[in-house]
Amino acid sequence: MATNTPFEVISHTRKVCSLYKRMTRNLQAYYHDRARFRYEATLLRAEFDKHKDEKDMIKATRLLKKAEQDLYANLHYQPIKFPSSPGGVAYDRNAIIPDDALDFWDPVEKAFYPKYFALREQRKKEYMELWQKKYGKVDPKQYEEHH
Amino acid sequence: MAALVLGVRRTLALGARAFLTVAPKASASGVSQKFIHTKQWSGSQRSSLLVSNQTTDLKRFYSGGPPLSLELIRDRVLLVLKLFDKINPEKLTVDSHFINDLGLDSLDHVEIIMAIEDEFGFEIPDGDAEKLARPADIIRYVADREDIYE
Repeated sequence: MATNTPFEVISHTRKVCSLYKRMTRNLQAYYHDRARFRYEATLLRAEFDKHKDEKDMIKATRLLKKAEQDLYANLHYQPIKFPSSPGGVAYDRNAIIPDDALDFWDPVEKAFYPKYFALREQRKKEYMELWQKKYGKVDPKQYEEHH
Repeated sequence: MAALVLGVRRTLALGARAFLTVAPKASASGVSQKFIHTKQWSGSQRSSLLVSNQTTDLKRFYSGGPPLSLELIRDRVLLVLKLFDKINPEKLTVDSHFINDLGLDSLDHVEIIMAIEDEFGFEIPDGDAEKLARPADIIRYVADREDIYE
């Protein structure tokens, strides 16, 4: 679900940091030669440091907006992506099966791994005891009435 | 047709003769032939084929990642940080705060996070990155992501 609704307040500092990171990664996509990339990255950093002590928030916001537009205009057509991040080659490759799926195994299937499931039951009991110690004792029958 | 039958019979006869001479060898080496690609060399077993001991622990890893432990992650993180030009390697410890103790600013912190991303090959989102204020936090974060607890 793509949405533009902000779910948290993002500070100006974090916006600048995020912009700096994206701009550096963009440079990395353009300059494969490490030395050349470092040179360009140093220039970028100098540009950021020039406005480091900007006290006027209106001006700072304007600078940020302009830099965002510059970045958008100069985006690389094939940016480098990490394998497991969105857009990467291995993104969503391995499904993470939730742990509680094991509880829905057939008893016959469970019987193939007696040692593991005995330990699992033991751990579940320990976890319930831990929970009750922390939040107080709850009678499971209270909840059965609702269902 | 007759020629074909004759040909087949002749090859059969030849084959039978060949079989007679080859059969004992084939049956003797049949078992080892079958398992030759799946057999694993255990350490104690010595073979004249093995020239060096290096081949004794050959395994197929396919595309598994590098072996990781908490110490290895710590060493790699600290090495990346020591090579970072604005950090004094003598002052760096696992529990030193990047901004308060090492005197870095927030953009340096972003650069550190990018170096860590490149080292371990995964992306660290901005929301998580700003919580990683010490090397210990980074080590913990990497270990949690890679499911390493010891």
